[in-house]
Amino acid sequence: MTYYALLFIAGFAGSFHCIGMCGGFACALGPDGRGAGATSLRHVLYNTGRLSTYCFLGGLAGALGQVICTALGPGTQRATPLLSASLDFGQRALAVVAGLLMIIMALSFFGLRGGHRVSSGFAGSTLVVSLRSLLGRRGFATPLALGVLNGFLPCPLVYAMIAQSASTFDVLSGCLTMAAFGLGTFPAMLAMGGVGRLLAPSWRQRGVRLAGGFILLLGLVTLSRGIMPMMAGHGLHHLWHFA
Amino acid sequence: MTPSLDALCRHCLLPVSRRGFLRAVNGEACQFCCYGCCIAYQVKNGSGDASEAAWFLVRLGVGSFLSMNIMLFSLLVYSGAFSGADRSVLPTIHLLLWGLATPAVLILGQPFLRETWSQARRGRLTSSALIVLGSLAAYGYSTLAVFQRGGHLYFDTASMVLMLFTLGRYLEAAGRARASRDLAPLLAAERELATVLEGGQEQRRPVREVRAGMLIRVRPGERIPIDGLIVEGRSHCDDSVITGESREIAKAVGDAVLAGSINLDGPLLIQSSGSGGESRWAQICRSVGEALRQSSRTQRMADRLVGAFVPIVLALAAMTFLYWVPRLPLDQALLTALSVLVVACPCAVGLAAPMAHSLGIGQLARHGCLVRNPGALEALARARLIAFDKTGTLTAGRPQLVDIASDGVAEDEILARLAALERHSEHGLARAIASATSARGIDPIAAEDVQILPGRGVRGVVQGEAIVAGSAALMRELDWALPCALVERAEVMAASGHSVVFVGWRENALAGRVRAALSFDDTPLPEARATVGALRGLGLQVMLLSGDHAGAAARVAATVGADDWQAGLLPEAKRAALDQYRAHHGAVAMVGDGLNDGPGLAWADVGIAVGSGTDLARETADLVLPVDGLWLLPWVVARARAVRFTILANLAWAFGYNLVAMTCAVLGLLQPILAAAVMAGSSLLVVLNSLRLERLPGPYRPSVPEFATAARPGSEPGPTAQGRSGALALLEAES
Repeated sequence: MTYYALLFIAGFAGSFHCIGMCGGFACALGPDGRGAGATSLRHVLYNTGRLSTYCFLGGLAGALGQVICTALGPGTQRATPLLSASLDFGQRALAVVAGLLMIIMALSFFGLRGGHRVSSGFAGSTLVVSLRSLLGRRGFATPLALGVLNGFLPCPLVYAMIAQSASTFDVLSGCLTMAAFGLGTFPAMLAMGGVGRLLAPSWRQRGVRLAGGFILLLGLVTLSRGIMPMMAGHGLHHLWHFA
Repeated sequence: MTPSLDALCRHCLLPVSRRGFLRAVNGEACQFCCYGCCIAYQVKNGSGDASEAAWFLVRLGVGSFLSMNIMLFSLLVYSGAFSGADRSVLPTIHLLLWGLATPAVLILGQPFLRETWSQARRGRLTSSALIVLGSLAAYGYSTLAVFQRGGHLYFDTASMVLMLFTLGRYLEAAGRARASRDLAPLLAAERELATVLEGGQEQRRPVREVRAGMLIRVRPGERIPIDGLIVEGRSHCDDSVITGESREIAKAVGDAVLAGSINLDGPLLIQSSGSGGESRWAQICRSVGEALRQSSRTQRMADRLVGAFVPIVLALAAMTFLYWVPRLPLDQALLTALSVLVVACPCAVGLAAPMAHSLGIGQLARHGCLVRNPGALEALARARLIAFDKTGTLTAGRPQLVDIASDGVAEDEILARLAALERHSEHGLARAIASATSARGIDPIAAEDVQILPGRGVRGVVQGEAIVAGSAALMRELDWALPCALVERAEVMAASGHSVVFVGWRENALAGRVRAALSFDDTPLPEARATVGALRGLGLQVMLLSGDHAGAAARVAATVGADDWQAGLLPEAKRAALDQYRAHHGAVAMVGDGLNDGPGLAWADVGIAVGSGTDLARETADLVLPVDGLWLLPWVVARARAVRFTILANLAWAFGYNLVAMTCAVLGLLQPILAAAVMAGSSLLVVLNSLRLERLPGPYRPSVPEFATAARPGSEPGPTAQGRSGALALLEAES
């Protein structure tokens, strides 16, 4: 549970970053003319759409991790590393890759690398243009669709979490990883819809740093899962679960 | 509503093919080549709420929501999350999946179904039929399985295949529109509206209804819709669409403006000088539009293949199914056949050439180079030999005085008298004399009674004595004494390729006598040497095929560094020479001025006209470079090669990908969802690969020191148009 709580907090801290890009959409989605209930429903639908995209991506990444592990690893039995400490070669390799990716993403949050430039490209700009044309529409399908498509916007935070999901080597764990993270972003994003006011930049900056710190921590732990000797990994996992 | 087949898609500017359809956007009928383009166009231009684009995105979003959940649950089922103790919930999960999949298939499959249906009514099978068949089969089989409580479910296949293809088409359309970005201003003339000022009232009217003399108002930032003169206001204009040079030019009252240029910073009132449909811009638009509608050989081949593809794939899928049925469980066999259907979608093949063409044509057009058919680009890329059709293509068309042979009279006196005479002529050689005179600081004497003898020379009276300048024939006609020494010198001059003019006058009322022979020489363009060098650097053989005499051709060829030359060629001989080269070198390109050498340009595989006249419609060249655009030639060749390489890479990729993927699918090694992802990815990769053409560098103008000083006024007659038939009789052989 600690693990998911950590992800939730990372999501919460990270949502100060989300406010920059996705918060704009939440604001623009705005209040519904039919009252507070309809407005809440609108924003819950929007965030549900976003969450379902995250879960899907997480599940997919977990499945991918699983496939890679069974392809690389000699063992046939499936191991869920969160529960058992025996890691085979494929899982170790994947953990190293995922951990490194997360550390790189985390560093970009501290402004050490221009990760944003890499992530936004042709597909990203097309998506943003598409999303804008959705904003003016009424009806409850629109916020859901907006949320779903919003979830695919290029975002280093999401990429880092997807890397983490892949390193769980399991569909369910991957999905839950992203779900915990996505739920963490709920409070800020829902508040954005309701309050419709941007937080002071200094606070956003602090939030982004905090999120970077969490991702760095997660990345280091994931990396260590890959490179630590078997026993140490075992010990670490005990630590992990009791922490 | 059926679209006309030769129209261009409003969104991506590629020809509307058989898949095309008409749709009203913002109350205007627009033609699109596919559903993706229709949507992408509306996303960009539609007005928010009511637009079909928003509705499409909602459907895509909701469809994705459903299919992602289906996929997630299916993944969980596959990964064994519901095994063991949780087995009892499986039927509920199956029912849930069915409940999600039914709307997903309806929502996402509808556009594909509609397309399949409308094409099927016209007796055609398109690739969307494959998608519809594949996903409906998966859905139908799984639905049966749910209610019979047995077998595997493939709802994820049904919905994800549809979602991936929808997404793929949408992104593809967005990419194609980006490829045609450069083309948009060139095609705008046909739709442009002009603000016509009539009786103090402003009216928006289509450009083609604008007549000469009408007053047009152009606001800052707008494109000037017609050729005309500025009546009111001042501003800066950017003529890059017409001249290819992006430069701000200051314009004020009385200045001429060109249709197609952008009025940058001040409101202008313009008096139209011709009807809207006749401006060069409108002509360029028609020409580019025609070029886009034509298809090259490669593309026709690809289209034929795509046309034959669908039935073959259907047969192949059926055969795969029949082969696997006895060897695998029924659902596995069905799945294998589905993979074959889905993976064979030949979208990428059909996209390989047109996108690269429209990108290439657009980029060339941005620098003022017009491509009149896409096949010309491919032929130019294949060409290994480039022939210049005449000496004039490589020379400035601005003769200079080289030598004076006299029978004892001082050179300065000859020039002074000649300059007096030639001041009354607007001719190329007259200018050469004027510049030589002013260079030597000679004051011309006044001349009277100047008379131009068309085709032979000019005569007049200077200081009370008759003076004549012209050909030897003219002198003999007048029966003036022509010293043998001068004739010999003149023959030597002519043999080395110079134009020769004799000058003679009466003195003391005696019989006229020829006093001197002057030789003129047309110098090669300052950039000619660099251009020829760059062309040779690209591995092209550079030839000069000239109708001039050997001396001139040899001199020009040596100066510019051409590999070889042939002189004194009549048009038939040029053709024969081209045929001979073609036998040795494959495709041959020919560069000319586009007016007098049309047949030669048409005979070559690619005819290139430099600085052609105003009437594009009569142009026979495949490629038209702007006035003074010779220096662009190496860049054009490099660009044509890049386009061809991109097309070949696209085709190799698309075919290779399809073949490998299809083999895997037939052997049962490819999951249908993976197959759909692979196919959507394939056309996206073709789009991205074509977009790489955008990143190539623009043309580089070689810096020649004398270039700036040699800038010639636009109104000066070219070497062939009037230069050789005007006032001064030339001894030069006509080319």
